[in-house]
This record gives sequence, C-alpha cells and structure tokens, in this order.
Amino acid sequence: MIRAVVRIRSETLPVNTSLNRFVVAKNLIRALVSFHRGYFVVAVSGAAVFATATVVSSYGVKLVIDDVILPAFGRDGVSFGTWFVTSLIVIGIGVVRACGVVVRRSFAGKLQWATAETLANRVLRHVMSQPAYWHRSRMTGDVAARAGVDTDAAVAILAPLPFSTSIAVLLVVAGTWLIVTDAWLGFFATMVFPAMLVMNVVYQRKVDRFYRSAQDELGELSEAAHESFDGVLVVKAFGAEERETERLAVISRRLQTARTRAIDLRSTFEALIDATPSLVNVTIIGLGALRIRSGDMTVGDLSSFVYLFTLVTLPLRIVSYLFSELPHSLSGWDRVQQVLREPLSPTPRSINTSIVERSSTMAPVMVEMEHVFAGHGSEDVVSDVNLRVEQGDTLAIVGATGSGKTTLLQVIAGLIQIRSGSMVIGTSKVGLVFQEAFLFSESLRYNLSLSADTNSDTLWKALEVACAAEFVREMGVGLDAELGERGVSLSGGQRQRLALARALAMGCELLLLDDTTSALDPTTEEQVLRNLGYFNQDLTTILVASRPSTIALARSVLYLDDGRIAAHARHADLLATNVGYRALISAFEHDRSKDAS
Amino acid sequence: MTFTDDITEDLRRRGAVDTIRAGIAEAPALGRGLAVTFLLALIGAAGRVTIPVVMQQAIDNGLADGGVRVGYITRLCVVAGVVVMFAAVSQRMAVFRLGSAAEEGLYGLRVRLFDHIHRLSLADHNEERRGALVGRVTSDIETLTMFFAWGGLAWMLNLSLMFVVACAMLAYDWVLALVAFAVVAPLIVVLRLVQKRLVRAYDGVRTNNAGMLSLMTETVSGVETLQAYGAVEPALSRVQDATARRSKTSIRAGIIGAFLFPSGEVFSVFTVTAVVGIGVARGQGAGLSAGALVGFMFLTYRFLEPIAEFTEVIDQTQTAVAGLRRVLGILDTPIGPPPPSDPVTLPNGRLGIALNEVSFYYAPREDETTPTNVLSNLTLIIPPSQHVALVGESGSGKTTIARLIARLADPTSGRVVIGGVNLKHVANDDLRRRLTVVPQEPFLFADSIAYNLRFADPLASDGQLQRAVEELGLEEWIATLPDGLDTQVGQRGQALSAGERQMVALLRASLVNPDVLILDEATSSVDALTEVRLAHALRKLSEGRTTISIAHRLSTAARADRVILLADGQVMEDGSHEDLMARRGQYSMMYESWLAATRT
Repeated sequence: MIRAVVRIRSETLPVNTSLNRFVVAKNLIRALVSFHRGYFVVAVSGAAVFATATVVSSYGVKLVIDDVILPAFGRDGVSFGTWFVTSLIVIGIGVVRACGVVVRRSFAGKLQWATAETLANRVLRHVMSQPAYWHRSRMTGDVAARAGVDTDAAVAILAPLPFSTSIAVLLVVAGTWLIVTDAWLGFFATMVFPAMLVMNVVYQRKVDRFYRSAQDELGELSEAAHESFDGVLVVKAFGAEERETERLAVISRRLQTARTRAIDLRSTFEALIDATPSLVNVTIIGLGALRIRSGDMTVGDLSSFVYLFTLVTLPLRIVSYLFSELPHSLSGWDRVQQVLREPLSPTPRSINTSIVERSSTMAPVMVEMEHVFAGHGSEDVVSDVNLRVEQGDTLAIVGATGSGKTTLLQVIAGLIQIRSGSMVIGTSKVGLVFQEAFLFSESLRYNLSLSADTNSDTLWKALEVACAAEFVREMGVGLDAELGERGVSLSGGQRQRLALARALAMGCELLLLDDTTSALDPTTEEQVLRNLGYFNQDLTTILVASRPSTIALARSVLYLDDGRIAAHARHADLLATNVGYRALISAFEHDRSKDAS
Repeated sequence: MTFTDDITEDLRRRGAVDTIRAGIAEAPALGRGLAVTFLLALIGAAGRVTIPVVMQQAIDNGLADGGVRVGYITRLCVVAGVVVMFAAVSQRMAVFRLGSAAEEGLYGLRVRLFDHIHRLSLADHNEERRGALVGRVTSDIETLTMFFAWGGLAWMLNLSLMFVVACAMLAYDWVLALVAFAVVAPLIVVLRLVQKRLVRAYDGVRTNNAGMLSLMTETVSGVETLQAYGAVEPALSRVQDATARRSKTSIRAGIIGAFLFPSGEVFSVFTVTAVVGIGVARGQGAGLSAGALVGFMFLTYRFLEPIAEFTEVIDQTQTAVAGLRRVLGILDTPIGPPPPSDPVTLPNGRLGIALNEVSFYYAPREDETTPTNVLSNLTLIIPPSQHVALVGESGSGKTTIARLIARLADPTSGRVVIGGVNLKHVANDDLRRRLTVVPQEPFLFADSIAYNLRFADPLASDGQLQRAVEELGLEEWIATLPDGLDTQVGQRGQALSAGERQMVALLRASLVNPDVLILDEATSSVDALTEVRLAHALRKLSEGRTTISIAHRLSTAARADRVILLADGQVMEDGSHEDLMARRGQYSMMYESWLAATRT
C-alpha cells in the first residue's frame, strides 16, 4: 500500500531567452514592490542621493588637486581659507553620500521584511483555510515551506533592488559626467560599463550550473544523512558504520567537486573583474597625458576622472549578486503563487450534508446516513452506507484492514466528501480523535483548550475521564507544563489520552475515536471507555476498534466488509450468527488462540 | 524545525580563536598551504595600489610643470599594465587555493562527522537529537562553506589590501601615514561598539526566525486538529505575532548595519582632508611632492574601502564560528562502546550469555541531580540455545538488558560475558557476525527489499537471498509483491505495512546466520494472515539459536523456554511459563489479565 503523496513540483523556470528572463524578472519585481510601495520609493530616493553624491564627490577630488595640492607645490601657494572651504565641500559631499546609503539600506530592509511578513501571513491564512483533505494529499513540510523559506527566497531580491537602481542612475550620471569632462576619454571609459555587465551575465550563467548541481547534491546528502542517522540502530546492529560513512562520503565528494568547479570559474571571474578597471585606468592615464599636453584637460580633471571611474566600477563587481539572486527569488515566488492561486476547496460538510442542531422536541438523532458513497480519488471506499445513530449511543465500527472503517469515520467527521447520498449530523460539536495524537509544543493548557477560554476545572475533569489526570499530576507542574521538544516528553498512550481529553474539554457531543486507545494497555483502555459513559450519558461515541474487549463495550457493532455494511447488531448476537464476523474476531484473538496450540 | 544547540556545546565554551584552531586541527586541509595562499593574496593586493602609484609617478615625473613626457608615461603605463596582470593571476591563484582547500577541508570534516555520529552511543541518538545531528552535517557545515566562499575570501583579500596599502602609505611619507592612522583610530572603537550590537541583533533575528518557521510547520501539521476544534483563527494570530516579531528584529538589525556600512567612507573624507591639510602645510620642505600627495589621497580612499565589506561579513563570520563550535562539540562527544585494544575471538558454536552484577544508569540530565538507575547489580545466566523472554512494564529494564548484550551500550559496572569472553574484549566485526538485533520498529532504507537484505551481508548472492526467504517460509508473501525482492520499500519502508517491514527485518537478520538473536517485539497490530506468517518466520529464525525476546505480548512469553519478569531493574520471577503460572505470582496475574483483555 504505497502511500499516495502529491508533491507540488516547483515549475522549472522558462529562462531560455534573455528577453523572456527580463520580462519575468520585471513582473516579479513589480509584484513584490506593490505590497509596500512607499518604502520602495524612499529607498530608491536614498539610492539616487547616493549616486548623485558619488558623482559630485569626484568634483571634490578635482577641487582638492587643482585648487589646493597643485598650487601649494607650485609657485602660487595656497591659503588656509581655500583649504578649509575645499575640505568642507569634500566632507559635506561625503556625509550626504553616507546619508543616502543609510536611508537606502534601512528602507530596503523595511521593504524586504515587511513584504515577507505580509506575504507569509497571506499564504498561511490561505492554506489554513483549505480543508483537511487538501492537506492530506500534500506534505506538511512542503506546505509550510511556502509560507516560510519560499516567501523569504521570493523577497530576497528586494534587498539589493534599490542598490541596483542606484547603480543604473550612477552609470548614467557618471557616464554623462565623464563625457562632459572629456568627450574622447569619457566615451572610452563608458564603453567599459557594458563590457563588465556582459562579463557578469556570462559568468553568472556559467557558474549557475555548478551551483545548481551543488544544491542538488546537498539535498541528496541531507536526505541520506537523515536516513542513515534514523536507522542508526540497524547500522550498529549490522556493524555497518563504515559502509554507511562511505556511502555518505561519496555524495560529499560529488558536492565538493561541484563546488570546487564553481570556485575555479569564480576565481577567474573575480580576477578579471578586478583587473579590468585597473587596466582601463592605466590606459586612461596614458591617454590623459596626451590630453593634458594638448591643453584639453587639467591634472585635477584627470585625477577626478580616475577617481570616479574607480568608484563606478566598484559596484559593477557586486551587481552580479543581483543576477545570482534572481533565479532563486523567481522559483520562491512561483512556489508561493502556486498555493495562493489554488482556489479554496469546498469543505466536505457543504456537500450533501446538513447539520441539524437537535431541538428538544425532535428525536435526538446524531448521525443519519442514506445511501452514502465516498472515498479518496475516484474510487469509492465506502458504498451505500445507511446508518442511524441516536444520542447517547456507542457504536463500534469493526472490519478487516482496508474495509473502510477509518474512511467511514472521516466521512462522519466531515473530512471526506460524500460523492452521493445524504447525511444529517445532529450537532456541530463533533470531536474526532486520531490514532496519532497531535500535540503542540506549548503548555498543556493550550493543548487542551486551543486558546478557548476553558476553565481549569473543566480541563481537570476531562483529564480525569481520559485517565490522564494521574500522570499529569505526577509531572508536578500541572496544566502549565510545556510539552514537546523542550518540554515533557510523553509516551504514545499518554499522548492519545491527552488528545481524548481535549475533545472532551471542548464539550463535544459526538465523539469519534479512530483507534484512539490503541497504545493503551487493555485495562486502562477499558477504564477510559467506561469513564466516557459515566462522564456524560448523552455523549454519542463512534469508535473504530480491533480489541475484542473494546468492541464488547459498545452498545452495537457496525460490521464493515469491503466498504459495505455487512451487519449492524450487538456484538454477542453477531458472534452467534455471523460467520465472517466470528472469523474476523478470532483473527483479532489469534494471538491468544496460538497459546493453546 | 529548530536545531537544538544542546549537544555538548556548553561542555567546553571556546573562544573564536581557539575554535578556529581546533577546527583546523580536525580538518588539516583547511590550513594546508595557507601561508602561500596569503602571500599570493598580498601580491594580488599590490595590483590594487598600482593606480595611486602610477598617478603619483605621472604627476611628479611625467606631467611636470608645462611639459608632458610622453615616452616616460608610455613606459610607466606598460610596466603598470604588466604589474596589474601579474597581480591578477596571483589573486586568481589565491582565491582558488583558499576555496578548494576549504572544500577539501570541509569534505574531510563532513566525513569525520559521519563516522563519529555513527559511532556515538544510542543515548546520543534519541529522537530529540536526530534533527540536531542532521543539522550538524548539513546546515552547520554549510555556514562554514558560505563563510569560506564569501566572508573568508573577503577577510583574506581585504586584509591583504589594507596591509599593502598601509605599507605603501608608510613608504610614501610616514608622518602623513601616522596622521591618517590617528584619524582612523576612533573608527575602530566605533566599529567594535556597534559590531557588538549588530551581533546581538542578528542573534535575535536567528532566534525569531527559527521560532517563526517552527511555529509555521507546527500550525500546518496541526491543521486537522485546529479546524476540528475551530481554533484556526487564534493559531493564525500566534503566527502573525511571530512573523511580526521576526520582521521587527530583522529591520532593526538592518538599520544598525545601515549606519555601520558607510562609516568607512565617512572616516575617509575626514582622513583625506586632514592628510591634505597637513601635507600642504609641511610642503616641499618635508620632501613631499604634489604627485605623492595625490597618490597618498588615493591610497587613503583605498585603505578604508574594505570597511564596508567587513561590516557585511561580521554576521556571517559569527555564524560560521558558532557552526564550527557546534560541529566540534559533536566530535568532542565520546563515541559509544569503545573498541577493544586487544580483541579476543569468540569461540565457535552456540554462545551462552552471562551478566555478572551488572548495573546501568543514564548520566543525569541538567535538570536532575541523581542519576536514574535502570539496572542495579543484576546477575543472569543464559545457557546456549535457550529462548528467554524478558517481561515487565516499560522502564523495568528489558530494553537495557538487550542493549547491553548487543553491546549497544556498556554497563556502568559489572560485566557482560558472551561465549566466556568479556563483551568489552570482543571486536565489533566479530560480534556483529555472531549476534543480531531485530528492533521493535525495523528501519528500512529507501531502496529495494534486496538492498535492505544485503545490508546484513553486502556479498550475499541472489540465491542466498532466495534461500533465506524459503527458510523462513516467506516465499508466498514475496510472490504477492509487485517486483518480488526488487520491490521498492519507499522512504523508511512506508510503502510496506508494519507487518511486512517486520518480515523484511527477520529476513535481514537471518542472512547474518547469528548464534545469538535479540528480538524486540513490535507492538503495532497486524492483520491475521501477516500475524501467522510472522509467527512462523520467527519460530524458524530462533530455532537452535540463543534468543532473547523482549516480549510485549504474553503469548510470546508463553512460547519461550524461560520467562524472566523484571521490575525496576530487578529480576522478580524467573522460570518456565508453566512454573511461573503454577507459582501464582505477579506473572500469572499479568497473564490472566492479558488473557481476559484479548478475549471477548
């Protein structure tokens, strides 16, 4: 019985042509920015101030050289006043430029994290509104990742975004300035910008392959390590420690190879992107000397030219980070959009089911099913079920593995849609308790009340009924004990009893138990089931069970065979009259009968 | 999921420098050739001071008042071009050497970790720590990878650059250089102050981030429960609080970083004006030239350029050191039962087992003062080929006895003897060939059944596998599987039912052909047919072997040669099922009540 898990695959990105890539990136950025446009505008304004101040600062360098340094060492000399004013200008420009950086970075951070918050809450609200069967066909970790790491990946592009826009502004303004300073040299220098951008793009494309394969290897390694540590008892039992280490080492080696290849490529790229501006600068100085000789430039002009060119090429080295962030952000955004675009599935209760809160005069029917067909996917697991359960009844659903016991219980609980037929439920207070009890890493009080304002007496009463009060008291901290990873660890049977207590504390009127007491020893199980009867005469209980002693406690038994009701009668009567039922019960008892042999 | 930091991290708190030194000791490839790498990085950095030097030379010698010496400038530029290219090649080599040495070192560290973790005792392998252990070999090592790829590289290149620039500044004019350093000095104080706040802020970000992610996972996992009890809204508002907290701390850390980032640039304008002012005041008399001052100005800008990048990699560095510390913490954790220094070979034939005054307790946890005794002074002799069932409530010591015999743990005091040899003197390989454990929840690897069987014996032929199946009478079951022995079992064997997983585990154990068999009985209920098959296979498997069963069903106890009832680590009753029943003691009471519960 291979468990069917629909894993939502992240679509591979259509990045075949650069135009396509550009359009996709533009749409992503536009969508992300729309959440908090104000922050974006402020951040980009800061970036613009930074870019402008950077260009202007080269004018400051020219002033220092032409008006202070050269005259000081020349014939004219320089006054203190000139030095002072020039210094103020240089400092002023520097401070304005720094302010631009502070505003840009602060607001880029606000933009990124505020967007992450908005998006994460939206995704989580959406998935939590999907009915249980939607969740069952998906992996929890994957769904949670959409709100968590995927959202973070999507918004990661927002951090360098204002900086990138400032680079664009910087390139345009600086290019113009350089050309204005000296058309001939300026033109030569600005040609380097697109060349460095192209280098960035080419490198990014090439290195991406290695980073991607490294990422895949890392995923494989993590999965294999998880498996190997999970199975450590088996590994030790067969003395396979070395073999397992070897298996993991092979994957690690592949990871290392992919990473080392990326480093090889990167070291060449880094050296090139560092050396290019220096080489261009050397050429500029050589050519600049000719321009100075012809009187078209001053030494200050040339120095500010070199200074500005160096300043502008600095961010060009970093612009590759933006490109590298893009595919990651895109796939995160895609995965987020996949869940958000999925329409909310209808709740199973809305189809062919009516909830009729019992009125005092009417007969207290709790469950009434007529010709109900239901199942997972396209196959019916339960067929043509007709059932009537009255208030205060206890009904045991009994059947072989795969006969549809759990499915029937989940139909009643409203977790599975009815395909045809109709069902009436006599209360909205239905408590379903699963075999695997789900507890939150929170206080015991939270786990029992789930934020509802239930008073302590009610909670203790519920714990008593579920035979859980004793071990809770033994923990010594009462209802405020923390459960889970950093708190008290509980056995399977204790967890089941707490989950049952939760259903009782919530004041449910129809209690559905899906093998809920399977981890308890038979004596405690019997005690719990008897307590339920004393606790509330009007409580209706439907339980899936396989222990004969448990089944015998129910007022009647619904015997399921291959999804159909084979019989519905008292346990003793069924044993006496139904051959199939007798065979099934003796199979359950098999363990005992073997002793006789 | 949060990775708990508990594993021995607190045992030995190391400083950052000690941590790095210990890390290099564990992964020697990290430190290999580091000196040459740094030398190459220094040569590489020389390429980045070329421009200021060329400017100075050009202004002083090539562009001297009036005349421009084209020939000199051309020669200067050619030489500078060659220097830049040479430096670029050096830098390329330095970057590659650092990166590949880091990858080699981290590979070694990973493998050391895998090996060590596999050898840790089972006490260090409990549920709660599983996630943390996987975290060590993946996310913690990843923080180191990220560090070497970005932060480490930045430290190397920028420190070399600052060093080379500082040297060049001192060479030009030591007085001006000292002036520049004096103006920069307060920056170090500012950086240290703000850096502390930044590190704290990032710590907050990490905590809140981990909290947010685990709360999200928990909320989604609990969706059925939350919906069933109409508690979705309060759960969502808890998550909203967590995301808001995460945003707030992240934004705060971002703002601190935003102020820190341009601090180098702000200081550089102050330094430049001071340098120019004093340079001009000292004038030619001090041997300065206009070119030297311009060159010096450019060097000053270069000197403070790396500050911005440093502020960016502080957090990454901190994270990497913390990651390394956690990794070292694992390697410091002593491994499980230590291998014998002078192994004794087990005798041939069926093996008997003896426990001589064995005591065992788990080391006390932080919140407990007294250790919990699991076994105290227990003596037990199991003759060869006997089938013993251990019975008792959970916590009575059954599992511990089985683990001690399988040497998955060593007793705190006393001796476990197998075939007349102290277990501590038996080589692990020898023991594993003679003794096998079938755990309660048989773990299967995500591969075929055949792969899982060969886990016991990698060299087993197809014929041997087939024979094992026939011996245990499971050929009928194998025939029902879609691909027979090649059927894939899925992750952790989930494609099979609990009973089927048991059958694979029994087959796997039978391939070892052990003399001693330890069976931890499963508690999960299985359907009738599987039950029959399992019982038959078990009987076949244990035939003639010394067998110790941890019995959860008393029917198993009833079938054994001998039943030992344990309570609080002591033997309460010991004898055959019939004897104990006749004695009308605790065992017979347990048996009666179990019988009543399973009967109608």
